[in-house]
Amino acid sequence: MVSLTTFYLSGIVGKEAFGADGDAIGVIRDLLVNAVPSGQNDPNQQLVTGVKLRIRKVSKFYSFKSFRVVKAREMLSVICTGLTELSSDEVENGLLLVENILDKQIVDMNGRKLVRVNDVRLATLPAGTFAVAVDIGIEGLLRRIGIALPIKRILSLFNISIPTKFILWDDVQAIDHSNLNIRLSKSYSKLHTLHPSDIADILEDLGKKSSMSVFSALDEEKAADVLEELETHAQIHIVENLPVNKAADVLEKMPADEVADILDELEDEKAELLLKEMDRESSQEVRDLLEYPDNSVGSLMSTDILSFRAEVTVEDVIAELRLKKPEPAELYNLFVTETNDVLIGTFDLRDLVVAEPNTLVSNIMKSEPLFLYDNQKVDDIAELISKYNLLAVPVVDSDNQLQGMVVVDDVVEDLIHKRRTKKR
Amino acid sequence: MFRTKLGGSNFFRRLAVFFAILGPGIITGSVDNDAGGITTYSVAGAIYGYGLIWTLIPSFIVLLVIQEMNARMGIVTGKGLSDLIRENAGMKITFFIFIGLLFSNIGNTTTEFAGVAGSLEIFGVSKYISVPVTAVLVWFLVVKGTYKIAERIFLIFSVSLLTYVVSALMSKPEWGAIGSAIIHPRMEKSTQSFAMVIALVGTTIAPWMQFYMQSSVIEKGLKMKNFRYTLIDIAVGCVVTVVVAFFIMVACGSTLHPNGIVINEAKDAALALKPLAGRLASQVFAFGLFIASVFSATILPLATAFYVSEAFGFEAGIDKKWDEAKEFYTLYTGILVISALIILIPGAPLISISIWSQVLNGILLPVVLVSMILLINNKKIMGTYVNNKFQNLIGWTAILVLVGLSLTLLFLPLINS
Repeated sequence: MVSLTTFYLSGIVGKEAFGADGDAIGVIRDLLVNAVPSGQNDPNQQLVTGVKLRIRKVSKFYSFKSFRVVKAREMLSVICTGLTELSSDEVENGLLLVENILDKQIVDMNGRKLVRVNDVRLATLPAGTFAVAVDIGIEGLLRRIGIALPIKRILSLFNISIPTKFILWDDVQAIDHSNLNIRLSKSYSKLHTLHPSDIADILEDLGKKSSMSVFSALDEEKAADVLEELETHAQIHIVENLPVNKAADVLEKMPADEVADILDELEDEKAELLLKEMDRESSQEVRDLLEYPDNSVGSLMSTDILSFRAEVTVEDVIAELRLKKPEPAELYNLFVTETNDVLIGTFDLRDLVVAEPNTLVSNIMKSEPLFLYDNQKVDDIAELISKYNLLAVPVVDSDNQLQGMVVVDDVVEDLIHKRRTKKR
Repeated sequence: MFRTKLGGSNFFRRLAVFFAILGPGIITGSVDNDAGGITTYSVAGAIYGYGLIWTLIPSFIVLLVIQEMNARMGIVTGKGLSDLIRENAGMKITFFIFIGLLFSNIGNTTTEFAGVAGSLEIFGVSKYISVPVTAVLVWFLVVKGTYKIAERIFLIFSVSLLTYVVSALMSKPEWGAIGSAIIHPRMEKSTQSFAMVIALVGTTIAPWMQFYMQSSVIEKGLKMKNFRYTLIDIAVGCVVTVVVAFFIMVACGSTLHPNGIVINEAKDAALALKPLAGRLASQVFAFGLFIASVFSATILPLATAFYVSEAFGFEAGIDKKWDEAKEFYTLYTGILVISALIILIPGAPLISISIWSQVLNGILLPVVLVSMILLINNKKIMGTYVNNKFQNLIGWTAILVLVGLSLTLLFLPLINS
């Protein structure tokens, strides 16, 4: 016979556990869950492995194997047939439902946002007791205060039901690990599947400690993408609190203009420290950008650009692109330069794709391209970009040497920011 | 601060610029002088003259200590007070605090609308026009997202509160008498004067300000490194609160008290100033009251809806659509509508509502403060920034005094009846 008992965490925490003979043993303080593989491509199940029991003012963890949750006539009782203490190792590898989940913020992987946990739903199956879902609905709130049933009865007279909202455990990522020494990268594995913007939003909503620990668990590439998406003061918080070498590694992976923006906000000493730690090439680009005054084209431009000689063939260009695998924004506009980096023309992906492989770049490029000077005012960019429907405009210095390009995304961001400032 | 950090990505930037001009402490201090505060100070001045001015000194110290703790908690944890209470104090205490906060703030908002109605009546506008119009304007202001502009305009206008200084000087105060009243604090041993002292402290240190202060600090992205600037900011805010309170009490104490004029609401003070200090003083007083009332009527319902939602885990923020944050909008609209409606009921017991919301404040304040002081002494939360002995001494003393005051306030009606 398959017996299935479902119950809520709030229903047993704070309750006495009884021995087989009916004597009270101790008060249940918390439940410990561990992920166990369920086989056949199923996601991991959260098996309840331990219980924190307070016996005569001393709280200890015991194995849940000898515990059973019984529901008889809507009344829950916990029966214990023996006490086996768990080692601290076993405790540290698990997740505590009250300490780490209940009332805490977790990530709802479907909604890609933080939600607060009102209760946890558990189920006892023949294979053991499992945490099945977290309750984030109003009913869970009322249940915690102990008034869910009476209110439900009253409302049912008016044919109103209290909204319930559950998230299955597969779609839950716990955040608060403050007391556990689980390897962080492993414990936040689900977050890696989210888009960097979503992770950034979640980080901004977390407390300082949690946001640091989640960020530190990201790999460098992801970390760089996330850092780019963060709000300025969250960026500063992260960069200031990461170890210098780790921060430098992440910054190296970011576009130089973004790095310059962050370093601009930091104190000079800290910025210098980070620049010294970064590899020479990246830090030089950033240093150059930092020289530009705030409202100039130079301060907004990206230095990640691709430039080619006029005498190479289309085939050569494509081969080089395949080799370099540039970021999407770098392909908005491709540049042709002479010796001394003087800009003589531009071409784009379309020109490249429709041309025969052995065509020379000089034959497909638009000569006399539109460009901006690096010391021009930022305000000039939007007009140019919208007038000529451009994705990116090359930036040159007073000697017509190519310095970088301004990408439409950055211009839009700058404009939105300005409009808000005015509106305010 | 009432947009969520979630998704409201540009919001921090907007706030950062805004708060770069005016710090959290100064804003909190200005919002503190709301219609309820102005009423209480005026009534105290009219009845007791300069007699209760001394209460501003302990109020100032307690306010300073509490706001410093809020700022420190906000900066170190990056979490709002609602979040911290929910995560550490458990559901039942959270429920008590936030349901209490909800009810007391409906009462407080009602007081703000009473201020709107009263001040505009001085200019000959009926409350049946002024209150609904103000409520609708406030609602649109916030929901349409222009709230921050409004907050700034109000803040500039609230400088008009400083005209109380002018009113006070025009009323030829006896500085010697004021000085000696402060140096020799005295208190009649009557229940009435006791209740007045509690009301004065209660209106200066309202529980919801603690939540407001902590959120402002977080959104400004302040750092512990620059904490002394934050301290200055807080001190300036507290000084603003207390200075305005001082001059209102002086103005009313110099004009109304010697003539034996008893008033019940701030509007009466404005009316009574007219024959004694001139028409201009009366209108300036009424204008200040109006601005302060609308300012708080905008912030209070919004702040309350936000903190309640935060504690109970509802989506919240004015950058969310109605469907995404149903609970938040329902709460916000509900508080505004209920408060405005109460004022419009002919013969509504406004004074009882105002007293009862202060009683509720009085009960809530020690609960919030005890939660705060436990949180700020928790090493897991605050690390090395826990309170030192001196801070704990002042903190607990303040709590004990406030608990004593609240208990007395609670039991006074019982003793009297």
